This record gives sequence, C-alpha cells and structure tokens, in this order.
Amino acid sequence: MTTVVSKVLPALYSALDMVIFVRQPCGLFQAVSDLPAWSQFWLKLAQPSQSQEQNYALTEAFSYLSYFMPDAEEHWKQSALAPLRSGPWIEIDELHQELVLEAGAVWVEDKPVLFIQRMGSEYYQEVERLQLMRNGLLVREELELEVQRRTLKIKQREEEIAIKLVSLTSFRDEETGAHVRRIGLYAAAMAKALNWSQERIDDIRVAAPMHDIGKIGVPDRILLKAGKLTEAEFSIMKRHTEIGAKMLEHSHIPTLDMAADIALCHHERWDGSGYPMGLAGEDIPITARITTIVDVYDALVHERVYKLALSEEETIALMLEQRGKHFDPYLLDIFLGLLPVMRRIRYQVQEIDDLIVRAD
Amino acid sequence: MIQKKICLLGAFAVGKTSLIKRYVSSLYSDKYHTTVGVKIDKKLVSVGDKALTLMIWDVAGEDDYTTLKPTYIRGAGGCIIVVDTTRPNTFEVALMLHGRVKEHAGDIPVLFALNKCDLKEKWLLEDKHLNQLAAFQLPIIKTSAKDGLGVDAMFQALAERMIEV
Ligand SMILES: Nc1nc2c(ncn2[C@@H]2O[C@H](COP(=O)(O)OP(=O)(O)OP(=O)(O)O)[C@@H](O)[C@H]2O)c(=O)[nH]1
Ligand SMILES: [Mg+2]
Repeated sequence: MTTVVSKVLPALYSALDMVIFVRQPCGLFQAVSDLPAWSQFWLKLAQPSQSQEQNYALTEAFSYLSYFMPDAEEHWKQSALAPLRSGPWIEIDELHQELVLEAGAVWVEDKPVLFIQRMGSEYYQEVERLQLMRNGLLVREELELEVQRRTLKIKQREEEIAIKLVSLTSFRDEETGAHVRRIGLYAAAMAKALNWSQERIDDIRVAAPMHDIGKIGVPDRILLKAGKLTEAEFSIMKRHTEIGAKMLEHSHIPTLDMAADIALCHHERWDGSGYPMGLAGEDIPITARITTIVDVYDALVHERVYKLALSEEETIALMLEQRGKHFDPYLLDIFLGLLPVMRRIRYQVQEIDDLIVRAD
Repeated sequence: MIQKKICLLGAFAVGKTSLIKRYVSSLYSDKYHTTVGVKIDKKLVSVGDKALTLMIWDVAGEDDYTTLKPTYIRGAGGCIIVVDTTRPNTFEVALMLHGRVKEHAGDIPVLFALNKCDLKEKWLLEDKHLNQLAAFQLPIIKTSAKDGLGVDAMFQALAERMIEV
C-alpha cells in the first residue's frame, strides 16, 4: 500500500507542476517532493549552506513570498485545511523566460505546508480572457469619448443655428444678437448655481434666448410703435407669449419643450399679476422664472430706443423693489449672488453685429 | 543595503508596466500586454551618498473584473499612482486607489504620474481634475513611457522621499 502511495504522490506533484515544502521551526523550508526542473535554478538561490541541503530560504529567492508569509503564518496558526493562495506572480529566469508561479499555505498532518505551483494553461487562458475584455473596454471608452465629442459639436452647432434664427426674428425690434446670446449665458449661470445637470444647463442656454420668438407674429405697427400702446394694441402685443409657445411646442425635443414653457410664461409674475395666464409662485415653470429675471436685468442695464441704460446700482434697486412681486425672491437672491458672473458675461458679449438694422 | 518596496497602481492600460520597463530596461513597446498577477523588478538607485534597492511591484490593473488586494500594498515604502491623461475614467480610479493606499499602507510617500504625455492632442484631463489632484499636496509628475519624459525623475523623486521618511 505505502509503495503505491509513494508512487502516486510524486506523480501527482509532477503532474500539477508543484513543489511541496514543510516550514521548519528555524524558518527554512524543507522540500518534501521532487524538484521539477524549473524550480532548480530558483532553489539554488535559496540554499543557505551546503549542510542544509534540502532546506531553503524561499523568501530569498522569491521576494513576493516574503509579503505572503505573514498571511501564511496566520493561516497555519488557525490549522486551516483549505489552502490559502498567494495569487500569481511572475519571475524571469536565467534564460529570460517568464515563469508564472503561485504559492499556497495549508495545514497538513500537524505541519505547516507550503506549495509552489507553476501556473499552466489555466493562467494563460485567464490572461487571454482579461486581455480581450480590457481591449474591449478600451474600445468602448474610446467610442464613448468620440460620441461625447460629436454630441458636443452638434450641440454647439445647434446652438449657433438657434441663436442665428432668434436674432433674425428680433431684427425688427431693438433686440440684438448679443442680447439673445447673453440671456442664454445668464440663465445657464443660474442653472449651474442651482446644481442642475449639465444637460439641463445646456438646454436652458439654448432655450432662454427664444423667449420672445413669438414677436414674429406681432404686426410692425404695434411692435415698432414709438408711443404708448393702446389697450387693444397691448393685448395683441401680449399674445407673443402664446404665439411663441405654439411655435415651439410638441416637438418632443427637450430644449424646445423648455423653450415653449419659457416663451409662454416669461411675462408671468411671482405675485400672479403677470400674463397670459396669471400664474403665481411655483406654478410658473422655474425656467421661465429664471428667464424673467435675467431678461429684465439685461434690458435695464442696456440702452433701448425708448430708454437710456441704467447703472447697475439703479438696476439692482429697481429689481429688489420687485422681490416677491415680479420676481421669485429665492431666485432673485441667487441672481444677485452671481452678479460678478453676470457682469462678466455682460462685458464679454457685446454688440458684435453691425448687421442690425436700426429703426432710425 | 536598504531595500524598499514600491507599488505602481492605476487603472488597466494606463502604462504601469511600460513605465517600469522604460525605467529598468530603457525599453518600450506599443503593444498592450495586460499584466495578470504581480511582477517585481529591482533597480539600484542612489540618493545622496546612500544606495537603495527599489523593489518595484507591477500590480495588475484595476478594472471591473479585478480589484486590488490589500496584501499587494502591504509593506510598501512608497506608491506611484498612474493616470492615463487621454482617459478621464482613469482619473477616478486613481482617486479611489489613493484612498485605498491610505487605508492599507498608512501615510507612505505617494506621487501621481500623469502618463502618455506624448499624446498631447489626445490630452483630456481638465483643470478641475488637476485642481483635485493638487489638493492632496502630493508631487504630480508628467510622464511618457514612450519617449521617457519624467520617468527617471519620477522614481528618483519617490526614492528621495522614502529616504527622508
Ligand atoms: N503613447 C503612449 N502610450 C503608452 C505610454 N505608456 C504606455 N502606453 C501604451 O499603453 C498601453 C498599456 O500599457 P501598459 O504598460 O501595458 O499598461 P498597464 O498599466 O501595465 O496595463 P495593465 O497591466 O493591463 O494594468 C500599451 O499599448 C502601451 O504601449 C505612453 O507614455 N505613451
Ligand atoms: Mg501591466
């Protein structure tokens, strides 16, 4: 019986390409199996002296093992039967060949046993699997970046077209391309301060400038009238909100849906005294409440045919009077906190378009 | 002779293996062979009048399929966390790994390598990323395993910081 076993075990070790050691009290490792060819170069490095032929200082040969030993010692202390594995590590031998090894600690017959196994096809299959996956991940990352880049480009183009179209519709009255652009930037700054998602920030930057697009449906004699509007004329003027909403709604494009809300509600007032529906408070979409504030600000600090530009202090004073009346008090406070940003936008986006046809 | 273990950590394919190969053997290859398991290289450096053997651990890259074992960082005298400047995702992994290093290895010298700097036209890190890194007040070194930029300087800087400690 013993002879059979003694033949089976070495054959098994050799088939598994492993060397078995027992940790001695002195800390050296005694080899208790045959030494496969690959192990001999390394074990020579681990031989402390002639007198201890079968005892090896394994951590001298394999630096990796010295960091595994604390775990192994802990494992042996618990006399655990299941092996604790070190995870694979890679050595380069004297012929510059890659050698992949893994160690395991196991408690057998009251002895601390350490085995070192040369990793075979399993390891290389695992490498191949990971390589394929990581190559795949890299391609996916690259595609995602490319999509992001293109989406951004398309968005910028869309924005440019939107601004151009909106400026065209404002040719007839005083509003200019720069005003339209600024409204978008102010609104985006507000949205950012409110911690909106980048997508919604982008949407409002494009949507807010379209708030007056419905003026296209207001006849020249009213839109361009120099004097005060009669009541009848004013009620036609007011219709630009609904006309704008009609032009923009039902597209199922988030930006345009938002623009429709803004067009419809940017003359509503916080206290309910606005038009066309007399909505109050949070019944007015927040996108419109934001646009109201930035539109009034930009109109006040700039010159118009019918008025001179106000100073910033005068503007702020006027707007504060309307806190909680015309304007959402909370949003107005946020706006005022952002004044330095708004000022920067105001100075950076100046009248660029000499193309504007002046009424005079 | 003083020996110090240092670890290169980072997302997969950021160039850990390539940086080590450039430093240890002055070689570079464009081909990507992912590392599975740990490979340790040694290199002798001198800091002032002291000689020091660096045991450089190339640890398998972090991704959804493998995660860093705490034992890999154990006993490390220093760490290099590598970011691929052309892949913003790898920045997030670097931050996470920095947390892991602090947790498992304590207050050891750490530096950040911004690798693949030769690919200038593909650079995708933003100011907000750089500011976030700067907030750690750790050395940040621009590297390229491909043309060698910053590689020796990076290992040397880490060796010096480890000697100081
Ligand atoms: N252009 C350029 N490519 C680099 C640079 N460093 C690495 N690469 C390439 O990036 C790919 C990944 O490099 P590796 O060194 O294998 O990356 P790694 O971090 O070891 O990857 P894992 O072992 O999978 O975690 C290879 O194709 C390298 O050639 C560099 O500085 N510049
Ligand atoms: Mg690698």
